[in-house]
Amino acid sequence: MWSLCWTYSLNLSSVPGDGEGQSRWCLSQVKGAIDDDVAEADIISAVEFSHSGELLATGDRGGRIVIFQQEQESKNLPQGRAEYNVYSTFQSHEPEFDYLKSLEIEEKINKIRWLPQKNAAHFLLSTNDKTVKLWKISERDKRPEGYNLKEEDGRYRHPSSLTTLRVPVFQPMDLMVEASPRRVYANAHTYHINSISVNSDNETYLSADDLRINLWHLDFTDRSFNIVDIKPANMEELTEVITASEFHPLQCNTFVYGSSKGSVRLCDMRASALCDQHSKLFEEPEDPSTRSFFSEIISSISDVKFSHSGRYMMTRDYLTLKIWDLHMESRPVETYQVHGYLRSKLCSLYENDCIFDKFECCWRGDDSEVMTGSYNNFFRMFDRDAQRDVTLEASWENGSPGCSLKTWRVCAGSRRKRSEIGVDCLDFSRKILYTSWHPQDSIVALATVNNLYIFQEKPN
Amino acid sequence: MLGKGLKRKLEQEEENGVMKMSCPQEASPACYWLQRQTVLNLSLLKLHSRPGHTEPGLARWVLITNTLRRIQDVPAPQFFPSGVETHSEGSLTPVSGLEEDRHLFLCLSPSISRQQPPSSSVIKDSFTSALAEIEDLCPTVGITTLFSTEMGRSLTSDPNSDESRHTDPDLSEMDSSMDSASSLSDSAQSLFGHTPPLLADFSLDDFLLTEIDSLLFDNVPCGSSLSGSSGASKVISMVTDDLVKTLAGYGNGGISQSALPSNQTFKLDLNELDHIMEVLVGS
Repeated sequence: MWSLCWTYSLNLSSVPGDGEGQSRWCLSQVKGAIDDDVAEADIISAVEFSHSGELLATGDRGGRIVIFQQEQESKNLPQGRAEYNVYSTFQSHEPEFDYLKSLEIEEKINKIRWLPQKNAAHFLLSTNDKTVKLWKISERDKRPEGYNLKEEDGRYRHPSSLTTLRVPVFQPMDLMVEASPRRVYANAHTYHINSISVNSDNETYLSADDLRINLWHLDFTDRSFNIVDIKPANMEELTEVITASEFHPLQCNTFVYGSSKGSVRLCDMRASALCDQHSKLFEEPEDPSTRSFFSEIISSISDVKFSHSGRYMMTRDYLTLKIWDLHMESRPVETYQVHGYLRSKLCSLYENDCIFDKFECCWRGDDSEVMTGSYNNFFRMFDRDAQRDVTLEASWENGSPGCSLKTWRVCAGSRRKRSEIGVDCLDFSRKILYTSWHPQDSIVALATVNNLYIFQEKPN
Repeated sequence: MLGKGLKRKLEQEEENGVMKMSCPQEASPACYWLQRQTVLNLSLLKLHSRPGHTEPGLARWVLITNTLRRIQDVPAPQFFPSGVETHSEGSLTPVSGLEEDRHLFLCLSPSISRQQPPSSSVIKDSFTSALAEIEDLCPTVGITTLFSTEMGRSLTSDPNSDESRHTDPDLSEMDSSMDSASSLSDSAQSLFGHTPPLLADFSLDDFLLTEIDSLLFDNVPCGSSLSGSSGASKVISMVTDDLVKTLAGYGNGGISQSALPSNQTFKLDLNELDHIMEVLVGS
């Protein structure tokens, strides 16, 4: 799978002057095979930095998780580029078979969420459609040696032949990174899990499927509490599903969930055991001038993320990014057009199913910028303070390592400049759905279909 | 899939249609109708197609179903060739629309009062009766014929239309096709798990009839009978050609092949088509 890891050596001194169309971001690394013929199992389906940013986890459709670790040496160098190298690889989920329904359960990793680090080991939650697992990733660089209990060939010596007991001594060994499943939280979801979120109390987490949200204690796998249930008594009346859910980063009693109708509900677990009644409903009235058959589909929330401060919340629907102030439910405080030029293409995108793509979004560590992916391997960054946005491309072919990424513009007609591309030339099979921003540094990781890209901001 | 540098004609037309869709009240009713039909057909196909052996996503199903309901809720535009009595307000759809939409009305929203296709009461002259017969055969052609009366006139002399089904086929057609497709709908039910049974039946039957109709449309010798050769007809037949090919692409991966021809071009004899109809309706 990770047969080829491309790591560019970076030559900062040759960075050209910053002209028009040059962004302050540059390509740092590309991971993964470079050929176009990528196996289905290798398609990345989750990307997540740990809370310190030292580790970067990716999940794929084959149920595997690959964790990259930031090189500590290069991180401390002045103008050093922190390189991420493979730290651990393990099989998180296996394909299963639901005998009752005669259907396969995909092993594809839907979400990865790290737990805050408490000791030397790292913990993360990973989930497929049905089962959440808690993984412990720990290092072993010593082993006890010097037992005198075994023969040379490994057989245990007869106890009567032992006259002394030698205390073993720890000897250094090659670093070994072990991943072991510590908990398996199964059989709690009838429908497909779309979200997991660790609570700020570091003891509980929620898992959300299309119709229900369950609350778990990390230590207990045999029970979970249902806190949201929107399943109608008559399934024929079902018109709305849960699409994303997250705990508030600071208030352990608060969480939100987004729906397929474009609304986000904020719930307070102190209000009642079952949070079917929301405390706040964030919904923007539909603009009648843009009404179409696809209005509902494109309003469906594909991702919801709280800001690090906990004051704002960001939602992603098919065409826009919206930033909401938690104190104002009537409309977002900021709306960013991700790829508004697709509005006239919705019928085609419905036909080829692209309209159902679920894009993720993420905040910069200081909440000053937000980022999300698009098609043609483009990704978009929005500077909230400067009210500027930029379109960049994840490509190892165009653009040299260490140099500023070229900015792009999508135009409706035919292109006039080299930095432009016509909307009809976009490749809708190349899309960036999964993105993650380093919690402190100016490093972003995102997944194209084939590869993992890591970008860093040029230091000034 | 939209490839790099490739332009799709269908998209070109849809772009025009969808651009106008932004203000449906002012949209050209023809483009609006075409898009409505396109979205309707696509939705039915999607509801029916099954990606692999895993459980189909509930979110996707809900979105597609809501889109279908939305199409149904929005009244079809009031656009008739002269001579047909127009209905009032939005709840009644024109005759050309009833072939498709009545299944929707009856299955999807039983609460909506059933509008019996007043084919006999509405049709007043030979032109509109021929039109209705043709539309029985192929509702997509119905769209085409709405464009110019010249085309409509040539259709009245179309010999193929005389071999069309009996005058009031729709109800009996639907009932018997529902029976014969009951086994298919059962399988659809099990496939979807929690799909409401009516919706599963509806989508299957409508899918069957829709594809047959599209096949029939392609069979109608567009060159000869629609010999108006106006720009509009060429454009529309191009568009529906693409649509038919799209439907073919979906149809091949869809339901059991016993009911539909597979992997062929859609140049079917009317005899072959009658045979297919017999399989669906009769045996």
